[in-house]
Amino acid sequence: MLHIKIPTRREVIEKAKAEGKKIAAVYPIHYPRELFRAFNIQPIEVWGPPKTDTKKANAHLQSYICSVVQSGLAFYLEGGINVADIIVVPHSCDSLQGLGSIYKDFIKPKQELITIYLPREKNRENVEFLSKELKRIYKQLAEFTHFEPDREKLLEEIKKEEEIDVLVAKFYKSRENLPLSSREFYTILRAREYLPVELFKNILNYALLHSSSGKLKKTGIVISGLLPEPMEILDVIDEMDGFVALDDMACCMRRVYGEGSADDPFERMAERIVNSTPDPTKGSSVDERADFLKSLIDISGAKGVVFYNVKFCEPEYFYHPLLKDKLNESGIKSIVIETDINEPISQQTITRIKAFIEMLKEESRWA
Amino acid sequence: MGLKENIKYLFSYKLIGESLIKLNTKKSYKNFKPPKNWRTDILAPPLKTGVFTKEIITRHYLEGRYVNGVKPVAWVTSGAPIEILKALGFYILYPENHGALCGARKVALEISEEAEKRGYSIDICSYARTDIGSTLSKKTPVGRLPKPDLLLCCTNICQTVLYWYRVLAEYYKVPLIVIDTPFVYDEAREHDIEYVKKQLEASIEVSERVAGKSLSFSKLKEVVRLSKMAAELWLEIMNANKNKPAPISVFDQFIHMAPIVEKRGDSETVDFYSKMLDEINDRIKNGIGAVKNERKRVLWDNLPIWYKLKFLSEFLAENGVSVVASTYTNAWGELAPMMDIERPIESMARTYIYPILNRGTGHKLKTMETMVKEFELDGAILHSDRSCKPYSVGQMDQRIKLLNELGVAALLLEADHSDPRAFADEQVISRLKAFVEMMD
Ligand code: SF4
Ligand code: SF4
Repeated sequence: MLHIKIPTRREVIEKAKAEGKKIAAVYPIHYPRELFRAFNIQPIEVWGPPKTDTKKANAHLQSYICSVVQSGLAFYLEGGINVADIIVVPHSCDSLQGLGSIYKDFIKPKQELITIYLPREKNRENVEFLSKELKRIYKQLAEFTHFEPDREKLLEEIKKEEEIDVLVAKFYKSRENLPLSSREFYTILRAREYLPVELFKNILNYALLHSSSGKLKKTGIVISGLLPEPMEILDVIDEMDGFVALDDMACCMRRVYGEGSADDPFERMAERIVNSTPDPTKGSSVDERADFLKSLIDISGAKGVVFYNVKFCEPEYFYHPLLKDKLNESGIKSIVIETDINEPISQQTITRIKAFIEMLKEESRWA
Repeated sequence: MGLKENIKYLFSYKLIGESLIKLNTKKSYKNFKPPKNWRTDILAPPLKTGVFTKEIITRHYLEGRYVNGVKPVAWVTSGAPIEILKALGFYILYPENHGALCGARKVALEISEEAEKRGYSIDICSYARTDIGSTLSKKTPVGRLPKPDLLLCCTNICQTVLYWYRVLAEYYKVPLIVIDTPFVYDEAREHDIEYVKKQLEASIEVSERVAGKSLSFSKLKEVVRLSKMAAELWLEIMNANKNKPAPISVFDQFIHMAPIVEKRGDSETVDFYSKMLDEINDRIKNGIGAVKNERKRVLWDNLPIWYKLKFLSEFLAENGVSVVASTYTNAWGELAPMMDIERPIESMARTYIYPILNRGTGHKLKTMETMVKEFELDGAILHSDRSCKPYSVGQMDQRIKLLNELGVAALLLEADHSDPRAFADEQVISRLKAFVEMMD
């Protein structure tokens, strides 16, 4: 257990406002943080938030839309996003596409609305397309802020994010050597969703100072899905003497981007996103995803995979049966757990996770 | 191409199957009469040219049984740019149309359950579940579906197809072409069109490789010409419903749209729709309405509820309600003017980025508002289709706007296009009754 004081979203927003920064409320998943930072805009991501009363969203969204979008909209309707100057909706899935469209055509928020279209496969043409898309967004931001950061400023912010990505990778690598519960580990990691770069870097560096040579003697799990909410799932895993060794989650690992190679800032930002790890919302192939999960297991020595799926999330649903088969063929056990980020984790889910970890422990004993 | 397959194809399909089907059509056309259980008291008889719809689709699926090894086979999404494949001689199968057929024949549930048993969630699109279920179990009401040699997935209808086709690519181990079409919140930007165009160009090489021949641009132009002609005729058929009474209902359109989806780019599709248009014009001349006592005219938004077409059509007709316009059937006609025969690839890039499902919720509202005015409508039924999120998100706001700003009755009807488990009979009846009352 480390005693790290992480500022809250509210504190970060107040400080940013006091410093004259603008705030961008950003919906999931991929976007270039560096582009916004170059405009002196503080991105604050809106992943739900969980445990929101979604009644207000019911006037706009049917009940078969996932809880991430439901609470994301309810949060706006309750005034939770009032402090923001900009709303960003990346095109991650049909439901977020719908949310962006409802904002634009019906809700018409006072904030500047920015949508981002993200291409799918990893190739040159897609980098080219995305860099044009980012130039378009640059223009929109320049008009809105009356400010035009130059190439150097953009590259400076890109470099900072690239450094953070390297640091995050190191943080993951040290997972077993850190005296952190799974909840603490992910609370630190997910602070990137709203912290300024420097602050987040300091926190990671501080945590890494406590890395020791002693390894956690627990059963490692890889968790896959959109986000680890409700976070109680992490406590359940820890209670069973397990821990999350690595993840394949949209809010975390899937957004640890590699270094770009282009000198042009837009191309470089595009490269980073286009070449990111396999991701169902990008329609990655089943094999790519299975290989990625297997590599996470190999690197971390984890014993199994928990697919933690938000109910009604189609991008994730389609892959589960085939991924489970492919993992199974490699002797890796997995389980699919369904969740609603606004509901407490059910007793049945707790029992299933416990039984799963128990089974993994049992198998390792005999291995 | 295998000799054995060729002989089987020629014998079973060309020589026997096709001739028998054609003969049957001739007979049905000559001795045409409505089916026994047709409600002639409230509905006009079905279109006589409808016998050709049956023929075209029956022949299409029969050909599918024998086509592997004879022609290259592509499975494609419903809004996909098929012109290149057509010009290369592919046999084209639309899993969504097969899903619709399964829905209409009331076997979609049984087939979807095969996918659900394998772990596919009940919360994914029921077309996808039906298709995956059919892939896994080989169950289909059409005898047998041909195996694909190529998959073509275009995201201009939804993102769901992207994940669905990844699953198919895994089962069939064949190349997958993805044509990704940026969502159009307002207007498509030049870099969006360029992006689609480049993908179309890149798709030629893969398609040629699978087809084992080179694309002839004159053939492509011919396919685009036929595709455009058929879509224009389809648009005319739909616009004929501006007449009062409307000569055909949207329920008829749901049935007769199969060729415009499935056989776009064929000359017989053009012939078929021009015959159908003639029959419809005759109806107009003779004052025949699809609903005998047309008192109210309404719009249908979203996919059909395939397993309840008869029930809905009769229930509404009993109440003098004719469903005369639909955003769904309109989608296969409205883009026809954008196709440019002389610039096939460029115009395909522009056309295929603009289907209603790839455009914002405000655009759909505008389309509905235009329909309300042009078709002189009294109400709108918005099918809230739990399977189809891209079509359904936004309907709650659209409904309120139609109600408050245009003053037409608007109903949100919760169901699913193929999965009957999402259809609550009593609830639907009481909501429809209230809707009819609202219009009176
Ligand atoms: S949980 Fe799934 S469906 Fe919901 S916003 Fe995220 S990616 Fe889209
Ligand atoms: S989600 Fe909608 S558009 Fe996509 S395949 Fe299903 S029914 Fe068609």
